[in-house]
Amino acid sequence: MIAEALRAFVYPGIAYMVALALLLEWLDRKIVARLQNRVGPYYAGPHGLLQPLADLIKLLAKEDVVPLGADRILFTLSPIAAFVVVTVAAAFVPLASTSGLVSAEGDAVAVLALITIYLLLVYAAGAASPSRYSQVGAVRAAHMLLGFEIPLMLSCLGVLASAGSFRLSELAARGSVRVFGLHAVGFAIFLIAAQAELERLPFDIPEAEQEIVSGWLVEYSSWRLALFRLARDIELLLLSGLAVTLFLGGPVGPSPPGAEPLLYPLYFIAKAALIVFLFSLVRASTARIRLDQFVTFCWRYLVPTSFAYFALAVLVA
Amino acid sequence: MALVFDVITNLFRKRATVLYPEERKEEPGTFRGVLGFERSLCIGCGLCWRVCPASAIEASRDEKGARPVFHLDRCIYCYLCVEVCPRKAIKASSRRAPAVEDKRKLEVG
Amino acid sequence: MGLYLPVGPQHPIHPEATLIKLKVEGEHVVDADIDASFVHRGIEKALEHKTYVQGLFLAERICGICNVAHTTCYTLNVEGLAGIEVPQRALWLRLIVEELARVSSHLLWLGLLAHVVGFESLFMLVFRDREVVLDLMEEITGGRVTSGYNVIGGVRRDIDAATAYKIKSSLAKLKERVVKYRRLLEEDPIVRARTVGVGYLSPSEARELLAVGPVARASGIAYDIRVNDPYLVHEEVPFNPVVYDTCDAWGRAMVRVGEILESIEMIVYALDHAPSGEIRARVPPVFRPPPGENVTRVEAPRGELLHYVRSDGSEKPYRYKVRTPTLANLPAAISMLKSRGDRVVHIADVPVIFGSIDPCICCTARVLVVNEKGAAKEFHLDELAAKRWAR
Repeated sequence: MIAEALRAFVYPGIAYMVALALLLEWLDRKIVARLQNRVGPYYAGPHGLLQPLADLIKLLAKEDVVPLGADRILFTLSPIAAFVVVTVAAAFVPLASTSGLVSAEGDAVAVLALITIYLLLVYAAGAASPSRYSQVGAVRAAHMLLGFEIPLMLSCLGVLASAGSFRLSELAARGSVRVFGLHAVGFAIFLIAAQAELERLPFDIPEAEQEIVSGWLVEYSSWRLALFRLARDIELLLLSGLAVTLFLGGPVGPSPPGAEPLLYPLYFIAKAALIVFLFSLVRASTARIRLDQFVTFCWRYLVPTSFAYFALAVLVA
Repeated sequence: MALVFDVITNLFRKRATVLYPEERKEEPGTFRGVLGFERSLCIGCGLCWRVCPASAIEASRDEKGARPVFHLDRCIYCYLCVEVCPRKAIKASSRRAPAVEDKRKLEVG
Repeated sequence: MGLYLPVGPQHPIHPEATLIKLKVEGEHVVDADIDASFVHRGIEKALEHKTYVQGLFLAERICGICNVAHTTCYTLNVEGLAGIEVPQRALWLRLIVEELARVSSHLLWLGLLAHVVGFESLFMLVFRDREVVLDLMEEITGGRVTSGYNVIGGVRRDIDAATAYKIKSSLAKLKERVVKYRRLLEEDPIVRARTVGVGYLSPSEARELLAVGPVARASGIAYDIRVNDPYLVHEEVPFNPVVYDTCDAWGRAMVRVGEILESIEMIVYALDHAPSGEIRARVPPVFRPPPGENVTRVEAPRGELLHYVRSDGSEKPYRYKVRTPTLANLPAAISMLKSRGDRVVHIADVPVIFGSIDPCICCTARVLVVNEKGAAKEFHLDELAAKRWAR
């Protein structure tokens, strides 16, 4: 019982996931800063490693404001639900060994479904706030769903079909790298769709700071904002973890027998860091695309390519 | 995307950030900084407080006669007073005004 | 139908407090209006209570980024009014600093455009390059932003050979970077997607709404005060006004980047050809110009800047009026913000359009008297003073 609880809450459970998520956020900020000839986080902890944690703690110390006219139930539930949904999804992803915290038949599909639910929660969060900026941001987030959802699903399903299994732990155990040949297409599609899902530049349309302040997030403060930001970091962990499992062969690598519990987490961190590096590179070298241009781009290029990839992956497998 | 290569080369370059206050950029000697005042040269003509655009110079007296008191928190560092003083009693410098917690520390003279 | 979406007066996109009132249907903007009155500081009133020399430093602080344009215009205005002769070398030095300030202002604008389209990296890189120009300004004038360089009668400091060499070598490096940015504007697909065709202002509209500066020059109207009404020594320094005819935000960006390169050429030419001699005519700190009035126009980085002064013979001006280019461009901006026919304006285009006129609202906030009935009437200054203002 105690061992189960420790596994669930500490390692490789919630505490480990949160720590990894904050580490990936630090990595992202540091890489973007260096690419822009800046320093990035520097003062909090060695090399600024504790900066994301410091930001969360700072948020918790702020005043919690619920605007007049907000839907109180939704306003309170959506940050909690967002955090829960992403953490549950991340529980299926193999982070520290060839199996996630939990593993079940068909869990890859469950993860994809949970990602969609997270996006619906974003829409609900924006709709719960009375501000016009939130409404616009929420609608934009829902609009974006139309664009990237299909490519995201199809690129994952293509890999799962060619691997012949819907169970993430099986894919991780096999440890086959799928970035060459046909799967290069799937990898590229997944990376683009993942950045759209994470609302990162060039796709941070629902939160465009310059146009609608923070979009759907604008009215949230204190612990609610902290939960949303933490949920976003765990989402980064989730999607990089998915990329690692589906395309980069999982947290597997050469290791002397018996040393797996020590080395596999490190392999995961290294591979996830590679994905985050790619994301940060894109973020540091592009501008923000407009919503209608994004949807056009998705339907003209991404969706047909992903259909073709899926069909070929099924046929080849 | 045209910026990608430029941005990657930045990874290998030294940071452009100056980590203030541990590091400071060198100030060129030409910067218009805080004023200094030499009481022995002042003749109390009153030109400086008449000409100041920001009303930052207070006319006051001491045992030698009329003399100015400079309020550096109101000063706009235009250096009109430095130019107009007939005895060059107001001294230029290139030191930047310090951050203080008590406005009275920013009085010169 | 239509949601009223206010952008401002406090908004991350605004460097100053401005209210852009938008009427929005979905993501399309159907109506717009701009309220620029939030930063009114009573500068024209304050200028009436300061002597001409004190007023110079107040005029310098009308705007931080255009401070050299304002002091150039003010000093030329007062010198014209009082009949003060300025030595030749001072005019050349004023031109050098004015063009250097233009480079600094356009680089700042380029960074802001990058920020507005979400291109944070370009913003960081442009501002790092702008540091070079700010350091040069500090070396020459003693201040990074408030230069305190132009005075009535000339300029305060000279540029010696060592400084001239430093200017030329720094600007040579800057020129390479700006050429790279121009290529980026021409080639980067996302920047082009966000600016090409956005904020369309046809040449006839630009002429009707009296757009000035790069906004007009991007719509094909080749009007530049440095060519059409030269001041300082612009007749002797060769340069080509940069004109594009794409009529959109991309055209305005290209005009400004082109102007940076032109200004760099002008500075180098001026450094080589400036005559030696005095830099300042001695002017007493308090002087009384003869009664009269004077108008001076200057090509500020944002367009045509106009100063008007009326003297009644005392040591303080009777009336000083400042008409900034952003005020002239605001009606054009309002027209650009509205969707018309198949030319649709999205919410995401609003910051790009508003930013492409290079708004400097702190320069702009003056009192406007609008006659609601629409009848045109000319007010003479003395009438207004007698009837409406207690003096």
